Amino acid sequence: MRIVEAGKLALESIWANRLRSFLTLLGVIIGIAAIVATAAVIHGLNRYVAEKLSNLGKGVFVVQRFGIITNRQEFLDAARRNKRLLPADARAIAERVPGAEIVGWEVHATADLERGEHVIRDTDIGGVTPAILEIEPYEVAEGRLLLQHEEDHAAAVAFLGHEVAQRLFPNVDPIGKELRIGGARLTVVGTAAQKGSFLGFSQDNYVKIPFSLHQKLYGTLGSVNISVKAREPARLEETIDEVRAVVRARHHLRPGAPDDFGILTAEGINDLWRNLTQTIFRVALFVVGISLVVGGIVIMNIMLVAVVERTREIGVRKAVGASQRDIVQQFLVEAVLLSCLGGAIGIAIAYAAATLLAANTPLPAEFPPWAPPVAFAVCTAIGVFFGIHPARRAAHLDPIEALRSE
Amino acid sequence: MHAAPAPDEVIRTRGLVRSFAMGSATVHALRGVDLVIRRGEYVAIMGPSGSGKSTLMNLIGCLDTPTAGEYWLEGQPIASLGEAELARIRNREIGFVFQTFNLLPRASALRNVELPLVYAQMPPAERRRRATEALQKVGLGDRLDHRPNELSGGQRQRVSIARALVTNPALLLADEPTGNLDSKTSHEIMLLFEALHREGHTIVVVTHERDIAEHAERVVTIRDGAIASDERQPRPVRP
Ligand SMILES: Nc1ncnc2c1ncn2[C@@H]1O[C@H](COP(=O)(O)OP(=O)(O)O)[C@@H](O)[C@H]1O
Ligand SMILES: [Mg+2]
Repeated sequence: MRIVEAGKLALESIWANRLRSFLTLLGVIIGIAAIVATAAVIHGLNRYVAEKLSNLGKGVFVVQRFGIITNRQEFLDAARRNKRLLPADARAIAERVPGAEIVGWEVHATADLERGEHVIRDTDIGGVTPAILEIEPYEVAEGRLLLQHEEDHAAAVAFLGHEVAQRLFPNVDPIGKELRIGGARLTVVGTAAQKGSFLGFSQDNYVKIPFSLHQKLYGTLGSVNISVKAREPARLEETIDEVRAVVRARHHLRPGAPDDFGILTAEGINDLWRNLTQTIFRVALFVVGISLVVGGIVIMNIMLVAVVERTREIGVRKAVGASQRDIVQQFLVEAVLLSCLGGAIGIAIAYAAATLLAANTPLPAEFPPWAPPVAFAVCTAIGVFFGIHPARRAAHLDPIEALRSE
Repeated sequence: MHAAPAPDEVIRTRGLVRSFAMGSATVHALRGVDLVIRRGEYVAIMGPSGSGKSTLMNLIGCLDTPTAGEYWLEGQPIASLGEAELARIRNREIGFVFQTFNLLPRASALRNVELPLVYAQMPPAERRRRATEALQKVGLGDRLDHRPNELSGGQRQRVSIARALVTNPALLLADEPTGNLDSKTSHEIMLLFEALHREGHTIVVVTHERDIAEHAERVVTIRDGAIASDERQPRPVRP
């Protein structure tokens, strides 16, 4: 029998038992829907993160007290060992690493902002050297960035994130106006263009003030984050090594001792992120794999039932000239179509879920284009693997006994 | 080995034995049957119930394999054939008509008749044409789209005869084709077989009714798994 005939026959038989077929397929549907939806979320997140990271200027890296910490022991070690980073460390980098084009540093605090009756609580107050605003590109919406002489004199000036500007100065041009941070009165010199949100967190809720002013307001105990822009992005690795050597020397680390500080690069963060999402995906795959195996067993079971129900039909087919191969093909095609039908429904559900998620939540779910072909390949494999036993059982029925059955 | 079967022999069996193991006992359904049927013959096989008629038909129809003995179909030794080749023979050389019709209940008359052609890899249009012709020949040209449960017993048996004829086989086998039909319908079916015989088909019909057997030109009687008599009738009687 031609494969097209077998396909038609299988569809007829699936349709004749449509409710049973659908129930049979629940395992496969749920499994495929779950894994494709997970893949869509991860795929979307990956692209999103990669895009956000690429906003971090080219050839930029950050030296900070704590690097990326992935377990509790690392955290305990780092908390005990890692020293504060100081402006002096940053100056040493600027002096001794020729590959570092711009070096800036930043320290953070959290405080409430006030202007008349407008209050914003717990806002990130960044004390920055002007270079920082150049390295991590801050786009100016109105006014200007902070200036070197303001840093030199600890001038009481502020550069506002988009959201802060909107909330403190609704319908007012903020440039030249005053706001209060704790006891201090600061004059607004500029506002930033909107950056948008990252996974639902606003990235526009900050105030940047001169580093020197920050130290006056919040003291000198904080560790600074040092941002470095490499002169040649192609030589980023070498520049990082040179910076590492300078900081290690200042911390008097013996050769072979681990760093007592962290260095973050866009690639490093991206790698870590991908590692994380891959682990999540593998776990999901394992869980879903179980559901697919269960789904496959259910398909096998229903096909065995179908062989019993259709014993007489099989007898008739053999009597008029169907070979064992024809019968195997017929039942195998049916099992594969059944399983692929489940896959198709699962993909459709996952597609709808991804679209809904992307539209209604901060999760940037994106349906991966490779999902349908891979899902169909998997479903075909399930159909063949779990369909072959019932198909062979059907093919080996004795035609006379099959014809006699009722 | 033996002399090659003569070219006009459709069936030749030698010492055909078929036994069934029933637990510790063995049932000897056929105990050595020698039978030659020539092209164009119309043979009735008679005998009481349980004498081995169906067992013999199943062997001749390549649905079953003998415990011992030899069988040539169209001069070809069947024992040497594999499963796929036997399927091919059932498909091309043999048309089988059953007492219980054995139609696919969900398929129309046309699709039931098309079924052997499906396994003959015939393209759909050609298949449809041939199946329609076969149904017209048995007088069901106006029932193509009817399902078996929308047809009378006699009509169902006609569909199954059309299915047996549609591949233009060398041999038409019918195992008690009128067993489930009333006498009037039985008579009509037997007239159909007679007509097919006149067209040159080789036909073997199993029956245990004398008046059905009288339609044939040769009557083979089986008793206890062996041939008891083999007689030619002068002319089929036409009541
Ligand atoms: N599959 C089988 N297993 C066991 N015994 C069988 C089987 N088929 C037929 N027989 C036995 O073989 C004998 C001949 O049966 P069968 O050929 O069907 O008789 P008939 O068609 O002449 O009525 C009977 O005794 C029957 O019980
Ligand atoms: Mg019988």
